[in-house]
Amino acid sequence: MRNAAWAMAPRWRKLWRDAVAERGRFVLMLVAVAVSLSALGAVLGAYAVLTREMADNYLGTVPAHATLELAGDVDAVVLAKVRAQPGIEAAEARDVILARARVGDDWRPLLLFVVDDFGALSLSRFAPQEGAYPPPPATTLLERTAVGMLGATTGGRLQLKTPHGPLVSLPVAGLVHDPGLAPAWQERCGYAYVTRQTLKQQLGEDGALHELRVRFRGVEETMPAVQAAAQSLAAALRAQGIAVSEIKVPPPRRHPHQTQMTTVLFLLLAFSALSLLLSGVLVATTLAALLARQVREIGVMKTLGARTAQLAALYLAMVAAIGVVSLLLAWPLGMLGTRGFAGAVSQLLNFTLRDAWPPAWVWGVQAAAALCVPAAVAALPVWRACRVTVREAIDRHGVSSERLRARIARWPATLRNLLRRPARAALTLGLLAAGGAMFMTALNVSRSWELTIDKVYQTRHYDVELRLHAAQPLALRERLAREPAVRRVEAWGYSEAAFARAGEVDLSHAYPDRGHGSFSVMAPPPDTRFISFPLRAGRWLQPGDDDAVVLNHAALAQQKQLKIGDAVSISIGGRVTRWRLVGIVEEIGAAGVAYVSDRAFARVTATEGRARLLRVATTASHAAQRQQLIRALETRLAEAGGSVETAAPLAELRTAMGDHIVILIRALMALAAVMAAVGGLGLASSLGISVLERTRELAVMKTLGATAPRLIRGVLGEAQWMGLASGVLAFALSLPLTGLLDGLVGGLGFVAPLPFAVAWAAVAGWFVLVAAVSCAAALPPALRAAGAPIALALAQV
Amino acid sequence: MIELRELSKRYPGPDGGTPALERVTLALPDGEFVAIVGKSGSGKSTLINLVAGIDRPSSGEVQVNGVSVPSLGESRLASWRGRNVGVVFQFFQLLPTMTVLENVMLPMDFCGTYPPAAARERALKLLAQVGIPEQAGKLPSALSGGQQQRAAIARALANDPPLIVADEPTGNLDSQTADAVLALLASLARDGKTVLMVTHERDVSAIADRVVTLSDGKVVGNEVASRAGRALHHA
Repeated sequence: MRNAAWAMAPRWRKLWRDAVAERGRFVLMLVAVAVSLSALGAVLGAYAVLTREMADNYLGTVPAHATLELAGDVDAVVLAKVRAQPGIEAAEARDVILARARVGDDWRPLLLFVVDDFGALSLSRFAPQEGAYPPPPATTLLERTAVGMLGATTGGRLQLKTPHGPLVSLPVAGLVHDPGLAPAWQERCGYAYVTRQTLKQQLGEDGALHELRVRFRGVEETMPAVQAAAQSLAAALRAQGIAVSEIKVPPPRRHPHQTQMTTVLFLLLAFSALSLLLSGVLVATTLAALLARQVREIGVMKTLGARTAQLAALYLAMVAAIGVVSLLLAWPLGMLGTRGFAGAVSQLLNFTLRDAWPPAWVWGVQAAAALCVPAAVAALPVWRACRVTVREAIDRHGVSSERLRARIARWPATLRNLLRRPARAALTLGLLAAGGAMFMTALNVSRSWELTIDKVYQTRHYDVELRLHAAQPLALRERLAREPAVRRVEAWGYSEAAFARAGEVDLSHAYPDRGHGSFSVMAPPPDTRFISFPLRAGRWLQPGDDDAVVLNHAALAQQKQLKIGDAVSISIGGRVTRWRLVGIVEEIGAAGVAYVSDRAFARVTATEGRARLLRVATTASHAAQRQQLIRALETRLAEAGGSVETAAPLAELRTAMGDHIVILIRALMALAAVMAAVGGLGLASSLGISVLERTRELAVMKTLGATAPRLIRGVLGEAQWMGLASGVLAFALSLPLTGLLDGLVGGLGFVAPLPFAVAWAAVAGWFVLVAAVSCAAALPPALRAAGAPIALALAQV
Repeated sequence: MIELRELSKRYPGPDGGTPALERVTLALPDGEFVAIVGKSGSGKSTLINLVAGIDRPSSGEVQVNGVSVPSLGESRLASWRGRNVGVVFQFFQLLPTMTVLENVMLPMDFCGTYPPAAARERALKLLAQVGIPEQAGKLPSALSGGQQQRAAIARALANDPPLIVADEPTGNLDSQTADAVLALLASLARDGKTVLMVTHERDVSAIADRVVTLSDGKVVGNEVASRAGRALHHA
C-alpha cells in the first residue's frame, strides 16, 4: 500500500493537498456543479422519458385520424360501406354527448362517451383500471381523472342528465384510463363511458351514434394529407347518400397538451443548461482566484522544469475531478428529479409512466457536460495563469495592470480594490448578474402570468354563463333578472361553428374532448357591458353591422391567412354564412370565437327573439353564494322549459387556466432558485478569496493606524458595491429575457404573448439577498484578517 | 562554461525604461563558486535571472554549456532549466502543501528523469547529503529557516544539474546558519558543480573562487580568489 502511495507522482499529490487545503472552496464548486448537473439531468431525463412514454400512452390509444359527424346513425351498414373504401385502416362508431352530472347540489359538465362495442375497440382505445369491463348494461365507467370532479368511483353511483333525458342515477361499474384525453380536473369537466344500449334505455336518448372515427392507411400523418383524405371519404359517403355535416381533424400524432409539454421542457432545458454554464463560470472564477494565490508556486515549479502544458493539465485535471465527483452526486439526484418531474408532467398529460428510467444517453450527456463544461470555461483562466513567466510570477503583487490603475486612480478606494483583478471581478459580476437576471426573469414571468389570469376578470364583466341546449325566448332574461343577487342578465346568440370552404365539408381541428381546437360563433347584444377585449386590429362590432365579424386571436390562429377586410365563410348549423372581417380582439382563456351582431346572427340562424347563451352579473361575493345562485337560476330555467347544457362561474375558467401552466411556473421558480444559489455561491467564493489575498496588506494598514472596524467596513463596502453592480446589471438583463419568455409562454398557453410585467418584489428581494450574501461571505474572512496578529500576517508570502 | 556577451537588460518604464544591465561580457569556467556582489540595484539578481533563463535579455547573448538560453522557447526553456539549472531562492520557495521529500522529488517528476520509486530513493540521499534526512516527511512550515534552505538546495540538486544559481540564499538566515549554507554551496562547487551566488555577505572571498562585482549594471570587478586561503579559512 505504501509503495502504491509513493508510486503516485508528486505533482498529483500536490494537487490533492491543495484541494484539501482549500476544501471549503472545492466543496462550494462541487455543490454548484452538482446542483446544476442534477437540474440538467432531471429535465433532460424527464424530456426523454415523456417523449418515449408519449408513444406508449397517447399513440398507443390508436387515435383516430379524423372524426366525421354524420347526420344519421353510424350503424353496421354505414360501417361496412366505410370499411370498404380504399385506404381505410380502421373505422368505428362513437358519440360524445355533452351531458351534466349532479354532484351534491351542483351540476358539473360531463362528456359522455358512447361506445358501440367495448370489447372491440380499434380506435381511440382506453384501458380498464379497476372494476368491471366492459360495463354491464345500465352502468357507466368513469375516466380515472374524473373521480374527484364527479365525486363518484367504482361501486358508487353517478347522477347524470343528457340533453333529452331525465336525471338518472347509474351505478359506476369501474374506472378506465384514457390517455387520449387531457385530465378531467384540468378541463373542469367529467368523463363517463356508456354503451349505446344504456344511452337509449336508461338515459332517454335515441341511441344513435353520430360519430364515425377513422384511421387511414397509406396517408402521411400531416394535417394537409389527413384533411384531404377525410374530405375524400366524406365526398365518397355523400355519393352513397350518407350525409356528413362536419369533419374534425386534430393535429396528427399530437396529444392535446403536447405543445405545452414540449415547450415547457425545452424552456426548462435551456434554463438548466444555462445554470450549468453559470456553475462552470463559478468554477472558473474560483479556480482563477486559487491560481492567483498559487502564482508564485507556478513560477517556482517552472524553475524546477515544469512546462506550461504540464501545469495546465494539472489544474484542468483538478477541474475534471470536480466534474466527476459532481457527476456522481448528480446522477442519483437527477434521477430522482426525473422521476418526480416526469411524474408531475405525466399527470398533466394523463399518462401512466410505465418506465421512469431515463435512457442511457441522458447519463452520457450529463457525463459529457460534467467533464466538458467546467473545463471549457476554466481553460482560459488556467492557461493564462500557467503561461505566466517565472519572473512575472515571482514579481507579481496581485494588482491590476498599470494602465487600469492609472485610469481608476481617482475612484473611491473601495472600487479600486474591487478592480485589483479585473478579470475575476468581471467573471464574478457576470456570474452574479446572470443568476440574478434568471431569478428576476422567472419571477417576472410568474407575475406576467398572474396578470394574464387576471385579464379573465378584467375583460369579462359577468360572473356566470349558462348555455342552453336550444335557443329560448328572450323573456327568460327578465325572469332571471328578478332573482336576488342578479345585477344584470344578457342574452347572446351562440352556436358551434366551423370555417367553411367551398365544395368541402366543414372542418375543425377539435379533439374528442371537444375543448381543444374548437370554434364557435357568439352574438352579443349591441349594448353589451359584459366584454371589453382589447383590439389587436380593426374595430369592434357597431350598431347596424349586418355582415361584420370580429375574430378572437385563437380563431385567427386557425386561419392565419385572414386579414381585415377579407371575406370569411362560417358554417353554422350546417349552413354556410358569409361575413366580412372587421376586427381582431385578444381574448385570453377562450378557444376560437367569431363575434357577430345579434341581429345578423338571429337572421342567419332563424332564431329571432331567442337566445342560447345567458350571461349573468351578480352581487355574489364568494363561491358558495355564486353556486347557490346558479342553482336558483337553473331552477328558473327549468320552470320555463329551458334545458341547460352547461352552467359555469367565470372562476372555473380562471382555475382551468392556472392548472394548465402551473407546472411551468413552479419549475421556473425552482430553476430561479438554482440560479440564485449558484450566483450567491460564486459571490461568496470570490469575496472570500479576495479578502484572503489581502491579509498582508490589511496587516500593513493596521500598522499605519487603521482600526479593525475600519478594515471590516472597507471589505464589506467592496462586497456591497459588487452586489449593487450585479443587481443593476441583472435587472437590465432581465428585461429583454422577460420579454422573450413572455412571448414563448404566452404563445404556449394563449396564442398571445403575456403582458410585460416586472415583479418589483423580486427585484428588491434580489438586492437584499445579494447584500446579505455579500456580508455573510465577506465578514468572516474580514474579521479573521482584521484580528490576525500583524507579525503573522506580514510573514505571509 | 557560462558566456555572457554584450548582455543588456532594460526594464520598461517612462523615459525609455530602466537599464538593469549594460553590455556585460563575462566568461565563467565550469566548477567555480562565483559570488556576484554589488549594491542594491546594481543588476546582480538580473544577471543570474538571465543566466537561469528566468528572464530574457534586451540584447546580447547568454550561453550555458553551449546552449543559447534566450533562443529557447518557454516550453524548451523550462525543460532545459529543470535538467541543467538548480535554483535556490532567498525565501526558499518550498511548496507549502508538499513534504520536504516531495518537494525534492518534484523536479524529477516534471522532467521525467527518474520514476517515482527511484526518485524517492534519490531524494532521500540528497536530503542526507544536505544534512536533514530526518525532516523528509515534514511540511516546510515545520522546519527552521536553515533547514528549509537546505531542503531547497537538495531540491535544486534533484536532477543533478551542472549549474546551481542562488539569489541571496542566506539573506533570510542568521549568521551561523548562513555560514553552514554557504559551506554547503561551496562543497557543491568542490564536487564539480558551477555555483553562481548573489550575496551581500561581506567576506565572500573566503569561500568563493571568483568574485564578480557589479555597479550600475556594469561589471566593475572580476577577481579570482585563492583556494589555499579559503581552505585555511574553513579549516
